[in-house]
Amino acid sequence: MLDARGPPVQFELQAGEETKLQELTRHWMNERHAPDILPAQSVLLGRLLDHIRKQNDTVQLLRADPDSSEEEHFRIMLAQTEIERVKFIVRSYVRTRLYKIEKYARYIVATPEVQERLSETELQHARRYAHLVESHFHRTVLQSLPEEQRGLADETAFMPPMIPEPDKTRAVFAMARTNCPPVRLPDGSTSEMEKGQISLTPYYVVEQLLARGEVELV
Amino acid sequence: MTETRQFGDLATQLVTESRRSTATDTLLKYNDPLIRSIIREQRQLEQMIASTLENLADPEFDGANPSLLIYQTAILRNKRCLLAYHSHRIDRLRDMYWAVGGALPHLLSDQDIRGKLSPHEVDFLKQYNSAVMDFRSEFSDELDITAGITQPPKDLHVLVRVVRDCGVIQTELGTIDFKKGQRFMVRRADIEHLIVQGYLEEV
Repeated sequence: MLDARGPPVQFELQAGEETKLQELTRHWMNERHAPDILPAQSVLLGRLLDHIRKQNDTVQLLRADPDSSEEEHFRIMLAQTEIERVKFIVRSYVRTRLYKIEKYARYIVATPEVQERLSETELQHARRYAHLVESHFHRTVLQSLPEEQRGLADETAFMPPMIPEPDKTRAVFAMARTNCPPVRLPDGSTSEMEKGQISLTPYYVVEQLLARGEVELV
Repeated sequence: MTETRQFGDLATQLVTESRRSTATDTLLKYNDPLIRSIIREQRQLEQMIASTLENLADPEFDGANPSLLIYQTAILRNKRCLLAYHSHRIDRLRDMYWAVGGALPHLLSDQDIRGKLSPHEVDFLKQYNSAVMDFRSEFSDELDITAGITQPPKDLHVLVRVVRDCGVIQTELGTIDFKKGQRFMVRRADIEHLIVQGYLEEV
């Protein structure tokens, strides 16, 4: 990482430990592959954003300094490019969540368990969007219909529910990050994944493993 | 010649329109006349149910009346089709909104697009825009979440050609007055939204 006073300082890493950026990349991929909304990584995101801001300030400072050498300028450029790339991942991560939040907004509003997985801002947006969609439906369709037909939560046999929910049976590729405890498969048998093994399974089978960080979606 | 029509035919037309819109990846004009006719059909069906129920005052009636079931099914189906049509359009509108990087005025000033929207949809977009802007303001100035996410950045700078005048823009190198026909080497992050909105073109 770039420092105003000296040469770039690297994150100090234990073997096998992941950097904050690698951690975010993992969560980003998980989020993009999972049909359900995963828990928000607010702390991680906040740290990275802080870091981006600091890096940016440092870069501005160095650029303004007329004494910076040619080599330093080159290094500044690399740092700036890296910042842009990190921002891209953060942006994509945030937008992926936003997409799911809007898609399942009405389900989120009705389900407290899911709300716990959202950050305060996200939850606010979900509520607002759900309200927006409902009032749009009301203004365009429902208010012109006879009184009896105005509900938005009809439950009729053989019709899909009116509040869409994430499809947890969707197939995902899961890669084991450690040796995993056995999971129960839909047919009742159990399966155990070794470290590095990749399996194609329905999402709900690996849901708990994913929550504990024992697998990642690829 | 009289046209025979079943309950639900109109709704099928409406849903077919949504499918066509998806298949051709275009936004079709809001079909107000068709929606009005379906809503009329809904009222008609409701009246038919009411009048059937009145005729049931007969004490010997055992509760089984198939026509009621048919009316009710038609009502539910029509309603779902109406909602599906509107929901599909909202999805399209949101896609369009994000495709221009959340530049709502740019979207609404396009006469071609504007003509295809219903007044309620314009309202929807405006309210959606303000919701997204509030969400965005929770992040620091450093990170604009409405910027593109389709292509990861490869270079810091980009050579652009000005296609349409877009006035004076604040960039890393100071302010630049973009005039049609000129070329500039600028920082991508500073002008990405102008490329998306079609003012600049990558060379």
